[in-house]
Amino acid sequence: MKKLLVLAFVLILPFAVFAQGSGESSSADDDTIRIALIIENTIDDKGWCQSMHDGITQAIAEMPDKNIEYSYAEKMLPVDAGSIARQYVAQGYDLIIAHGAQYKNLVLEMAEEYPDVSFAFGTSSEIGPENVFTYMPESEETGYINGIIAGTDTTDNIVGLVGPVDSGDSARYNRGFVLGVKSVNPEAKILVAHTGSFSDYVKASEVATSQLGNGADILTGSSQQAIGALRATAESPTAMWVGQDLAQLTTEEGMAKCIAASAYNYAAVVKELVSKIESGTRGGECIPMNFANGGFLFDYNESLKADWVSPELEALINETIASFQADPDGTLADWADVDYSTL
Amino acid sequence: MVAIITNMLSMCIPFSVALLLASLGEMFNQRAGVFNLGCEGVMAMGAFVGMLIPFLAGKGGAVSQWYNVLGFGAAALLGALFGLFFGVITVTFRAPQGIAGIGLQMFGVGTAGTLFRHFVGGTQSIPGIPDVDIPLLSEIPLIGDIFFSHNVMAYLAYLFVPAAWYILFKTYWGLKIRAVGTNPRAADSMGINVSLTRYEALVVGGALAGLAGAYLSIAQAKMFSDTLISGRGFIAVALVYFGHWHPLQIMGGALLFTLAQTFQTIVQSMGISFPYELAVMLPYVLVIVVLSFTSRNQITAPSALGKPFNREIRT
Repeated sequence: MKKLLVLAFVLILPFAVFAQGSGESSSADDDTIRIALIIENTIDDKGWCQSMHDGITQAIAEMPDKNIEYSYAEKMLPVDAGSIARQYVAQGYDLIIAHGAQYKNLVLEMAEEYPDVSFAFGTSSEIGPENVFTYMPESEETGYINGIIAGTDTTDNIVGLVGPVDSGDSARYNRGFVLGVKSVNPEAKILVAHTGSFSDYVKASEVATSQLGNGADILTGSSQQAIGALRATAESPTAMWVGQDLAQLTTEEGMAKCIAASAYNYAAVVKELVSKIESGTRGGECIPMNFANGGFLFDYNESLKADWVSPELEALINETIASFQADPDGTLADWADVDYSTL
Repeated sequence: MVAIITNMLSMCIPFSVALLLASLGEMFNQRAGVFNLGCEGVMAMGAFVGMLIPFLAGKGGAVSQWYNVLGFGAAALLGALFGLFFGVITVTFRAPQGIAGIGLQMFGVGTAGTLFRHFVGGTQSIPGIPDVDIPLLSEIPLIGDIFFSHNVMAYLAYLFVPAAWYILFKTYWGLKIRAVGTNPRAADSMGINVSLTRYEALVVGGALAGLAGAYLSIAQAKMFSDTLISGRGFIAVALVYFGHWHPLQIMGGALLFTLAQTFQTIVQSMGISFPYELAVMLPYVLVIVVLSFTSRNQITAPSALGKPFNREIRT
């Protein structure tokens, strides 16, 4: 018995040492809106998961009049996420955001099981059941802006694109990037390669190294694996990077290499979700993200801007963003027609 | 075209090092009769500790190369301790090696991720170790880029291949390793301490797996994340079978796998009309196909592989 107690103590000790509360608040009243986030990576991955976490915390900060309780669960594979989602339901959460298209089946199954709870997942443009929201970043817009920079700044007329998989918002970003490059530099060669993974940083760095070796001097990449490609770009004395997450601007290599970056502003989505739930709409809608509705952010690396962003280029970027804001549906309607084999 | 091929070949050596080191470590394990599926977990711990030391020393900024050396040393030491731990489970307690290996893999990956979050936080990078151009040799056209412009660890890893061959086939310790993996009862009757020899092999194998992980975080990706290893530990186990438990053939397997990886990247980047999903699968399919057609595995595999030894029980 004594041995069992010692064993139990040893097993529990790491949890006691490393346990960190993920909830923002532990008490709640009836006015409280409870939001739970389920993600496959971590809240500080400088990519996909962090952008949603940051969006939720920002939205909470921007709605001080609302009493919002927030909790998150990291590293949840789709097969494991059902358990934590049911715990959130049991704890009375009003909105459960499963951040990734991989959670679609889980969300649809749970939405049917718990019709009084709102669920959201993305990226997806599907219209779900009446208690399921979807969200879809129209990231061909951010890709296009970065493409304009890459197409303008390349000196060897070769740019590299390190993609994870050819689907969802990554496919939109990548194709928008191609259109952006071609819009300012039709002669530029675009090297496109996918790693087949959202989180294999090593493979992303290998792909980037390969593209650098084949002459690419401006690179970009999407999803969290892009950090690996950015790290490889930092090894090159001349090559530069355009990013898809503002967090990349703050890294050591990003400060040295990342000319500009765009980012998803999930705060806009979260505020809209909260607003809809308060007004009685619990799902059945897809919330798009674009420059027009504040779903995207864009910023320059101030320390590199003078050397890499000419006034003409900045004017063109401003003009393009304005056109997206004026006509979010029409400007890049042909993004899906981009065929990599013709580049 | 020559430039593209040169670029592809020049990436093979540095990108194959982690697989090579981990495979050689696994080879020592399996030659001694212990099947260690936990290689992935040991690599994860090695990658974490290897990165942690230069990161803490420089807060992510530039540090003396000695901190990187210290990182490699700590990774090897931790890997050796994991090997020792695996020995306690599989050699002393004779737990099923496959299940214990899976447990070690999960323990290593999980612990590395947890400690990383606690001590470092989010995804962070380090300056790592630079490439070194070997004077004169690196200036030889084509050959120089392919063979003589890599980081120091890449050269050391490849120098270890003939060393591993020598240790395994030309030393008394290597003979003991092979004996306990082939016929532990006979080895025992000749006075060889089977358990001790297996422990030694596991310690060496663990140290090499730890070094392999540290290579990824210090020399290749120059960063750490929870998913840094991404299945490379399991590929290393497959490469041991691929290479018939022989250091030189394992080196060939690691190079071939890496060549296939870089080739598929080039295929994609060149815009060749070929589904990228199939291109990404290519190296893995290659391993499976070669394994399927190499019937020698049945002959060259250590005959006591995966079997716990108990001198009190006659089998």
